Amino acid sequence: MAKKLKRYALVLDSKKCIDCKACVVACKAENEVPVGVYRNRINVERSGEYPKLRTSFDPEQCHHCDNPSCVRVCPTGASWQRKDGIVLVKYDDCVGCKYCIIACPYDARFHHPETHTVDKCTFCVQRVDRGELPACVETCPSKVRVFGDLNDSRSPIHLLLATRRYRVMKPQTGNGPQLYYLL
Amino acid sequence: MDRRVFLQVAGASGVAISGLGCSWLFKKPEAKPVFSTGIPTTCELCPNKCSVLAMVEGGRIRKLNPNPENPKSRDMLCARGNAAIQQVYDPDRLKQPLIRAGARGEGKWRPVSWEEAWDYTAKKLNEVKEKHGPQGTLWASTEGFQEVFFKNLGSAFGSPNIIRHPSLCLASMNLAYSMTFGTVPSFDLLNADYVIMAGANRFESIITPDTMDLIGGVMERKAKLIYLDPRFTVTASKADEWYPIAPGTDLAFILALIHVIIREERFDRAFVDGFTLGFEQVVEHVKPYTPEWAEQETGIRATDIIRIARNFAAAAPRAVFYAGRRSSWYQNDFQMRRAQAILNAIVGNWDRQGGMVPNQKVPKGEFLFMPWDEPKAPRVDEIEKNFPLAAKGDGVYLPLRENVLSGKPYPVKAWMIYKQDPLHAVPDQGKTLKMIEQMDFVAVIDIAMSDTAWYADVVFPESHYLERTDPIEVMPGIWPAAVLRQQVVKPLHDTKPCLEIVQGLAKRLGLSDYFDYTIDQWIEAEAKDLPVPNGLEHMKKHGVVAFSEPKYGATRKADHRFVTKSGKIELFSERLQEAGQDPLPKYSPPAKVPSGKFRLVLGRKATITHAALTQLPWLHEHNPENSLWLHPESADRLGIQTGDLLEVASSVGRVNIKALVTQEIRPDCVFMLHGFGKKSPWLRAVHNVGAADAVLLETAWDKVSGNAAMHETFVKVAKV
Repeated sequence: MAKKLKRYALVLDSKKCIDCKACVVACKAENEVPVGVYRNRINVERSGEYPKLRTSFDPEQCHHCDNPSCVRVCPTGASWQRKDGIVLVKYDDCVGCKYCIIACPYDARFHHPETHTVDKCTFCVQRVDRGELPACVETCPSKVRVFGDLNDSRSPIHLLLATRRYRVMKPQTGNGPQLYYLL
Repeated sequence: MDRRVFLQVAGASGVAISGLGCSWLFKKPEAKPVFSTGIPTTCELCPNKCSVLAMVEGGRIRKLNPNPENPKSRDMLCARGNAAIQQVYDPDRLKQPLIRAGARGEGKWRPVSWEEAWDYTAKKLNEVKEKHGPQGTLWASTEGFQEVFFKNLGSAFGSPNIIRHPSLCLASMNLAYSMTFGTVPSFDLLNADYVIMAGANRFESIITPDTMDLIGGVMERKAKLIYLDPRFTVTASKADEWYPIAPGTDLAFILALIHVIIREERFDRAFVDGFTLGFEQVVEHVKPYTPEWAEQETGIRATDIIRIARNFAAAAPRAVFYAGRRSSWYQNDFQMRRAQAILNAIVGNWDRQGGMVPNQKVPKGEFLFMPWDEPKAPRVDEIEKNFPLAAKGDGVYLPLRENVLSGKPYPVKAWMIYKQDPLHAVPDQGKTLKMIEQMDFVAVIDIAMSDTAWYADVVFPESHYLERTDPIEVMPGIWPAAVLRQQVVKPLHDTKPCLEIVQGLAKRLGLSDYFDYTIDQWIEAEAKDLPVPNGLEHMKKHGVVAFSEPKYGATRKADHRFVTKSGKIELFSERLQEAGQDPLPKYSPPAKVPSGKFRLVLGRKATITHAALTQLPWLHEHNPENSLWLHPESADRLGIQTGDLLEVASSVGRVNIKALVTQEIRPDCVFMLHGFGKKSPWLRAVHNVGAADAVLLETAWDKVSGNAAMHETFVKVAKV
């Protein structure tokens, strides 16, 4: 029997996010991302009037879209997508034209100040290929993040998406983002 | 040591689906293929002691990952834990012993050999001993696995003056719960359905496992969280109800809760009758403390107080008033914590699932070393006389400083400091500087050039936690653990672990016999009684031995004797009465904020530990500078906008700091983060950046425990 293709995705239970920055620092350490630029972040939204205040935290990084606009606009083929859905940059082929930075609806890409290429979240592909979790997922203190293979019907993320309500960011772009935020 | 791979984590983590809360935490990963390995050790970046796996490549630490084997650390590593690598490879860290070459604080240093640093320090200590006796030396430290060696050197030298961190932290809470229950329990947030939390900002001030259990409780099990704080913290943002309570009135709120629960007979009568002493006195005592009265004090509506009291009692025993750590707030702090303890006791949450649980302990062996004679002189802080109930071995920091400065009851002229930065940890930096000035000798053992180290005469560089092996540490709790911190890489620089630094000094002080052992011998003895076969081998391979099954109810047997005078839970405390203190918590209102001033409140952030770590780039980029939080109402009145440079002044000091105008604070309070405005240029990212709260904080302490009262300072704020 042919082995079913994997499709990696990330489910986030943002309500549990406490903005502690563990994911951001773990990512820096794992991927040697320089200070001042980030492969992942926590979006903070504040609203209300004292004393009726609200704050919400939404962790965000590359959405590893099904139909990634960054890959489409790349003139050199440096931006590409693996069969398991992970969107990557071939650093040797990147000329730093930044088309992809503009094309990404999620502001997930940045210019790396040392390599002068474009850089972004890779779902810690080096770890995933060893069978480990991405650094942000493994380290998260409040266990906001669930990573896994959507095509595996027994995987927790498959079950989560089958049983819980969720949203994706900017679905109207047609990018088919693969970061799912539980409601 | 095998690392769990994600498919297994995943397989066991149907949490959200099954609605089983955090039960996945305790499922053992199945034995599956090994994907990568790491050296198990124990984090030292805050007091939580989480288990980590250090990944090393080519002799360099590449990454620190959480070690899932320790249930207490809940399979996570926070931002600080991840940033520990940057401490090791920090170009500014202490790399060799230093002796001061210029004036104190001038920053002129002479790198010296270990022999010279030890010789010089021993000579200075002996000079002070000859003139003033061994009690003329002071030994200050903050908790750490090697702290025991440092403290032992002070005691063996003959000094009674060992001063530790609790009186700057949680001494009032520890004492209040001990006086009531004979022990300090843990709070079972993994199973509690109703949690009242006052000021203990658990989602920004991370404590394992409490932070993780509470977020799971609130968001997955729909536990109720009632949160009181003058600031709208991250914890407030996750709470079901947030009350910006009038600062210093928490005791009024708690007394009113007790009042309602007793008036409406919602307490656990069987438990109160069977296990507690003095309930009748409590009934009389709380009569005047009505919710309507408390509304006037706290600003929380009486109807809310009544509702909270009813819901709390209804949820009991799965209901807790959470104690928290850094309980150094007001001068009535001990009594406020006592009231919490009484409230918890009368609803019968003691030793029940979801309630307060007395700690279990993992047994371990002890290394037996040669004992020394008890120091003869009384302590300089006069703790026996003025704080007879407080923990003698920990001392009382602020009263101690007053006495050292006045030279009474006797002079103290040498100050040895380990792993502590008194210039930032202790209120009123100006006074602490005076204390340094009046010392004939000051030496600091640390891994970085703290501000206090900057003012020292000798600086001993300690090896980083990833470069050394420490004693086995037992962590009591509902999920108790014993952990090992073992060397991951060889020391990068000419540094030594605390034990070796102590041994070098001991040799020159004629005290070698008391320190005649190696860390390996010490650990071997400790590992003997661990509840696993081949204890030492197990610890080196796994880093931890833990009990993952909580035990409830062992102390709820009729014949159980609590470690109190009466053997019961003491709601009314005769011991307090005998010591001349209120036997039941009596309310007195806090000092009113003088017109034109603000109350300065302090708090924590998940990327900072105490006043440290702010210089590490991965953490610094999230908090590059601290600022003064001001409510828009107050800012408008003073014509202040975010980013304006301010002068903030108290009766003891003044600082310049930028403004942050935010609705997330009461109009009568201001707030600033700890850990900025450093004097040491070797903390370059925060050197002269922002301001230090310690400059502003005035000297005040809790009457019973001697704990510093850090929210009793009023400041004037003006645009520069």
